Amino acid sequence: MALLEARQLTMRFGGLTAVKQVDFAIEKGMIASLIGPNGAGKTTFFNMLTGIYVPTSGLLRLDNRDITGARPDKLTSLGIARTFQNIRLFNNMTVLENVLVGRHCRLQTGLVGALFRPPAVTQEERKARQKGLSLLDFVGLGASKAQELAKNLSYGDQRRLEIARALASDPKILLLDEPTAGMNPNETADLTRFIHRIRDELDLSILLIEHDMKVVMEISDRVSVMEYGSKIAEGTPTEVRANPRVIEAYLGKEDAEESINS
Amino acid sequence: MAQQVIKVIKSSWVLGAIATLTIILFGGWSGTVIGWLLGTGAGFMACQGKRIPSPKVGARIGANAGLILGIWLFVASLLEGLVIRPLSGQSSLGLFQILPSGILALLVSTLAGGVIGSLQALPSPRRQQATLVTLAFILIIFPFVDQVAQTSWVATAIEILIYVILALGLNITVGYAGLLDLGYAAFFAIGAYTTGLLSSSQLNIAWNFWVVLPIAAVVAAIAGVILGAPTLRLRGDYLAIVTLGFGEIVPVIFRNLTEVRIDEPISKMFGSLFGHPEWGICLLGCDRPLNLTNGEAGINPIGRPSLPFVGTFESSNYLPWYYLILALVVFSYFMIDRLRDSRLGRSWAAIREDELAASAMGINLVKSKLLAFAMGATFSGFGGAFYAAYISAIFPTVFDFSVSVIILCMVILGGLGNMTGVILGGIIIMAADRLYLPQLAKVLKGFLSTSVLPNIPNPQLQDFIATSLDPTQMRLFLFGLTLVIMMIVRPEGLVPDATHQAELHGEGVSDQSLADARSQ
Repeated sequence: MALLEARQLTMRFGGLTAVKQVDFAIEKGMIASLIGPNGAGKTTFFNMLTGIYVPTSGLLRLDNRDITGARPDKLTSLGIARTFQNIRLFNNMTVLENVLVGRHCRLQTGLVGALFRPPAVTQEERKARQKGLSLLDFVGLGASKAQELAKNLSYGDQRRLEIARALASDPKILLLDEPTAGMNPNETADLTRFIHRIRDELDLSILLIEHDMKVVMEISDRVSVMEYGSKIAEGTPTEVRANPRVIEAYLGKEDAEESINS
Repeated sequence: MAQQVIKVIKSSWVLGAIATLTIILFGGWSGTVIGWLLGTGAGFMACQGKRIPSPKVGARIGANAGLILGIWLFVASLLEGLVIRPLSGQSSLGLFQILPSGILALLVSTLAGGVIGSLQALPSPRRQQATLVTLAFILIIFPFVDQVAQTSWVATAIEILIYVILALGLNITVGYAGLLDLGYAAFFAIGAYTTGLLSSSQLNIAWNFWVVLPIAAVVAAIAGVILGAPTLRLRGDYLAIVTLGFGEIVPVIFRNLTEVRIDEPISKMFGSLFGHPEWGICLLGCDRPLNLTNGEAGINPIGRPSLPFVGTFESSNYLPWYYLILALVVFSYFMIDRLRDSRLGRSWAAIREDELAASAMGINLVKSKLLAFAMGATFSGFGGAFYAAYISAIFPTVFDFSVSVIILCMVILGGLGNMTGVILGGIIIMAADRLYLPQLAKVLKGFLSTSVLPNIPNPQLQDFIATSLDPTQMRLFLFGLTLVIMMIVRPEGLVPDATHQAELHGEGVSDQSLADARSQ
């Protein structure tokens, strides 16, 4: 049974159809990838899954529950967490505070609790901090950087912090938007291993948009390919690699013929 | 030697200049009071960022700073007694009348610096506690010192503290959540009018002040939500315009609520449709229209608080008022500090940083923003309730746009997002506005009429100078000038908040709002 399911999802911006009737499903514990040339509508699709865009038409279901058009914060508390293609950390907050913001929807403290700080609130806050620190440890940032400002971290560390922040909300499904963008081969290999670890240790599903084919082929259980807003292929990495439409989309028609001929 | 003197003057010129100005303007024993206050400040600042090994070392560092300030004070009191007084037409004082106050100012300043300096030698948590206790002690005995020294600054101190509460409240909305609010005086007005209506002869309701105080805060908070709701999708300039409008509307409403009559709308509509106006069911103000706010003339008098042992607070006795507003400021400070350092405070900071990411991380933008508006308004509700009871009369003209601007200036001048800075900003602006400028005007007038004007032959020029050189009329100009200089020299404020400082000096954050994205 699908954990997250999209049916005939469509997004139109004025006259432009960015995503055209895409069907998509991801099962529990699966690592799925979404690939496609630039401008294929991958990020738009992501933004619909996380509630940042409201789909023009189509249906979204999480655990058999209709979530079409729900607000991002609602989706986060239902178990969809994400990172951004261009890192969007809270730059002037500390690393730990960033993770605590990610934890926001799992904390209960309201106005009265914040003002009068009964023991329950202090307890909750302490637990959240512990959880945050252990998450930082998990993503490999460690407690030593917890009090640094987020913007002072290196690029790779910022990517890791973004993942830690997303994981803080105890998601069922983690959406990673080009997690290896701008990384060197070493960092990319590290991150690939790390994504595997997240899936195995935290028991969640991962959907990623990725341009690095090596990464995609290595970690995906299933690959979906988009072009001009439509899904053109889906299957295991090997199937997708052999699919002529995919080769065409990536290399162009003539090139494809040439490569077959040669 | 000369270089050393210049160095010392350079390091102490800000506090020294304030101290000198105080003595030159106020004279008498004011030097002792300001020496006490600023000496403590100087001693504290001298020990900041240093490790103090023993109380002795701390006392020496603090006393040194206090002594330097004391020298400023001493020189200033000589200057005042021997030069300024005769020039501004007051009776000149002999050296023996000046020396005691000058020397006392010097001693008090040195002592105050030494005391606070020696406390800085305590280990870290105790150090802050000791500083807080000293601060509390100063604030508590201030009215008595003020009485003994005959400076009569307490009345101004009360006004300053009212504005400090307002600035602290605005700091939640603007400093923490990053929602620019240009109509903050509206909440001040709502708090004040709620108090006015519930404890005056206007509606023949005379509730106890202690009951009305929280009601005023709640009503202001509700008004905050009402303002917040339509602005949720707006950011930056657009939000500022809407809040500006709200700030303009509220005083006008209070000005015009003089003939209130409310009819039940449906029956009235049918009545007028069928030509039977008498069908309309009247709900309020039926016999004669209800005069709710008494328009331009305002509500007067308003009930005053009373306590066992103290009795009813009188307008002639400032002490209970001072302690009441001081308690309100301290209460607000701790409440706001707790809010900031909680799940809610974090969500505000996240929204300020990046609204879209905050939303994607599970923060409910609607709730958080409304809460920021409501909390900001709550504290101005306190301020308004106190103000109404203290002045015992309120008029719509008191709450105009300039009040909103002045409070915003306090927040920005002191340091957006930093409570210590905001308090300092409030004290500086209000003290300059209510204490120093009027006194400067007085001294300047005396100076002009005794030393300058008699020497000018042209009567027209005489007249021109006499009327145009009035600092109280230039207050808005001086204000603006200070802000312009401040924004150029130190845009992050006097005591900047670390994150805001980083924002101003770092690259801008991307700020596509969620509402924009979702509405596509």
